[in-house]
Amino acid sequence: MLTRIAGGRVVDPTAGRDAVGDVWIEDGRIVAQSDPAVADRAPDRTIDAAGCIVMAGGVEVHSHIAGGNVVLARLLLPELGVSEPGAPNPHGSGSDVGQLYARMGYTTAVEPAMPPVNALATQLELAEIPLLDRGGLCVMGNDDHLLQLLRDRAGAEAVRDLVALNLATSRALGVKVINAGGADAFKDGAVRFSLDDEVPAYGLTSRTILTGLLDAVETLKVPHPLHVHCSNLGLPGADDSLIETLEAAEGRRIHFAHAQFYAYAAVDKDNPLTGGFASAAPRIAEVLARHPNATLDIGQVVFGQTATISLDILRQFSGRKAASPRKWILNAGDAEGGGIVPFRYRDRGPTSSLQFAIGLELMLLSPDPERTILTTDHPNGGPFTAYPRILHLLMDKEARDRELASHPRAATERSGLSGIAREYTFSEVAQLTRSGPAKLLGLSDRGHLRPGARADIALYRDQPDRTAMFARAHRVLKDGAVIVEDGEVVAWSRGRTLSLAVEADAGMARRAETYLQGRFGAGLSSFSVPDAAFPGRAVFEAVPCRT
Amino acid sequence: MTAWIDGQAVERDAAVAAAAALLAGARAPLVAGLCAEAAAVQAAFDLARAIGASLDPAAGAPLYADLGALAAGGAMTTTPAEARGRADLVLALGRAPWASGLLHDLAAEGPVRGRAAGRPRAVVALGGPGDGGVQHVAYPVDAAGLPASVGLLRGLVAGRVAGPHPLADLAVRLREALYGVVVVDPAEIGALGTEMLNGLVKDLNETTRCFALPLGDPHQGRAVAQVAAWSTGQGPRVGFGRGHPEHDPWRFDAARQVAAGEVDAALWLASLPAPLPAWTRNLPTVALLGASQDDAIRGDEARVVIGVGVPGEAFGAALWHPGRAAIAWHEATAPRPAASPAAAILAEILTQTSADLRSGLAGRPAPHPEPASC
Repeated sequence: MLTRIAGGRVVDPTAGRDAVGDVWIEDGRIVAQSDPAVADRAPDRTIDAAGCIVMAGGVEVHSHIAGGNVVLARLLLPELGVSEPGAPNPHGSGSDVGQLYARMGYTTAVEPAMPPVNALATQLELAEIPLLDRGGLCVMGNDDHLLQLLRDRAGAEAVRDLVALNLATSRALGVKVINAGGADAFKDGAVRFSLDDEVPAYGLTSRTILTGLLDAVETLKVPHPLHVHCSNLGLPGADDSLIETLEAAEGRRIHFAHAQFYAYAAVDKDNPLTGGFASAAPRIAEVLARHPNATLDIGQVVFGQTATISLDILRQFSGRKAASPRKWILNAGDAEGGGIVPFRYRDRGPTSSLQFAIGLELMLLSPDPERTILTTDHPNGGPFTAYPRILHLLMDKEARDRELASHPRAATERSGLSGIAREYTFSEVAQLTRSGPAKLLGLSDRGHLRPGARADIALYRDQPDRTAMFARAHRVLKDGAVIVEDGEVVAWSRGRTLSLAVEADAGMARRAETYLQGRFGAGLSSFSVPDAAFPGRAVFEAVPCRT
Repeated sequence: MTAWIDGQAVERDAAVAAAAALLAGARAPLVAGLCAEAAAVQAAFDLARAIGASLDPAAGAPLYADLGALAAGGAMTTTPAEARGRADLVLALGRAPWASGLLHDLAAEGPVRGRAAGRPRAVVALGGPGDGGVQHVAYPVDAAGLPASVGLLRGLVAGRVAGPHPLADLAVRLREALYGVVVVDPAEIGALGTEMLNGLVKDLNETTRCFALPLGDPHQGRAVAQVAAWSTGQGPRVGFGRGHPEHDPWRFDAARQVAAGEVDAALWLASLPAPLPAWTRNLPTVALLGASQDDAIRGDEARVVIGVGVPGEAFGAALWHPGRAAIAWHEATAPRPAASPAAAILAEILTQTSADLRSGLAGRPAPHPEPASC
């Protein structure tokens, strides 16, 4: 069926397109009107897009939407996950999560923290998130098998093969490292851990682990660069950690998760933990401009109750005394485990307001919106459903000023937000939420509206209230099918889970089999994610490695 | 033959149709047991949502001893493999750890990872029966019982109990351990005892490392809790009677509901062994029962009985793995291609139930999700 989306303002920065025009679709893909197969045909269906902004479907790179720790957060905070009739909850079921993303015009979302030991449960959960294509990043950097290889100087090939095996076994889309070595150090009593600190039991620095994984990801030609959660998250002076880590990459591609939580310059450099923090957004933006190999997502803070979820158990343990309500979980698991610390970002509280300002500042100072991707690190900075309001503030200086005026002075005195006049254009919004994240994930079939792209498309009614505009898309198409009309889901599709097509080395598989049997009394098969675990469905779609 | 209605063998399709009619006609149905592979549990949640049923796993009572404590105060836990690799002190609380087999594994070896590597591993017990095969130091529980002793121990560890005490030495051992592990069955000490234990463990981590290692139930409860969480945002005792999931561990306790006469039909799912409640014979019930042999089911266990394959035996399946403390893939050990997985039967029931609901009971929640069309 040939579909014409007619007369909308089509915004596709990857094609330099921002003008009123049409988008044509056939067989779930975007086609060129000039294509001889299309040129002389009348459309079978026309979707009137007059008065609408037409963009590719949104792509989420970092949102905790599945996995053991997401489950634990629901069990720790039953009150947070309650679903009311007609009001899906971003902390609720997978179905609610899919609905809420789709309503905003998002069509792809990635869970960034899938421990290989819990891959099957995570993938089962991801498969139950409807309406979206999904993917998971497998987490390495604290697992004893990797640390043993590095300690024993087994060689870069062995590390590469272990990474490939984990990617293939867990059916992941990429690789993430979370405070490399930090969880292992925590189990041995550490409460602080930085890039050049040693994992006590292994004599390895965090830098060594990071470097090993950076090399492996590059050698394997994984499309998504190593996704890095640095040490010292949330501490004054964390900007130093991020920048040291960036320099440690030595030009290799690297992605920084939730950079806002590192954009905290210590006010008192000599006593960083007692003097508070100020925005380091200008410093990070400047460094980013000088390092084209680097990307980041924001981790924007918004206000209200949430649950912080992280495999950085050292950091979560340190944050336990700020838990609100006063209950928390920490699991010293196989490799990382995880920590859940409920937290309330106090509305108009000085610290929360400053964090809020820093996130916006990071995006507004961005040298390249395709490399500074919008996230709230859901649910860590707040729910992803805050995106429409955040986009509104990025696009509207007056609205930003009104918002800032209601915050404590710390937000203006310790950040430069109030002095920034920039207003995001629709093209920049598309870079921030579509083309940037799609490129980052190596998904060439989405994030744009050029011929050949998957027909994942969002139409928004162009209205001054950008919050309302982006909260409830006028139409959303997934693979060419309309799934949302006027902000409501009208048809349920189940989406697919994207996994990297990577071959595991047979020799490493044998080594891993021996290791896993010794450690768990269960072999590699136990850790697998076979198609048979999803009876009656074809869940996975392969994503090729870079050539 | 693998299907029965009122004790009479029938074709499977007839049993599926009868099951669908029974459930679609119910005003307050119950889906219980859930002792099954993840795919079947998922299918059961989908069915419950469609017919407005409440759910409760066979593991409900022991599971909620753990979940109740978790929701009240959180926890600090570790895994069996981490305990084996790192623990220099293992405290077995009560009787259940001695029946788990885990203590034998822990006692047979010492820590090999982390800062305790090379140290001997001490096994100590509070209130357990002991075991001739495991050398350990036993500490007594007084008349107030095990949960109260855990409370006392917490007080001793925190220095809040003055004077000599029989457990003072145990408190010192816990404080001095580099990686302590407390093995416990939450069902044995109850939600309050588990909450106290979690507090004890958290207190210890102010100066060292110590973690609880809760033993899972034998009926897939911890896997069910995960499926429930991602399917509803809540724990497993939920009701869909009003079209959206409502979580209430008391209200949706299956035994309580049946005893109170609040349920008018039920589905019992047990593709893995689970004790069959007496009510399956008194209440109009559909029972999906796993059987390794065709003659292992009598057919009179419920009004409608359908035999299903045993997951991990007849076919590969995602099941709870106690040694890994995770949902893990289990290959088929005795493949039986002819055996119907419970998930497939439930999907058929859902399809037919949805048709029955559409034709006769407007206003019920729609099955979810349905495929989109272009």
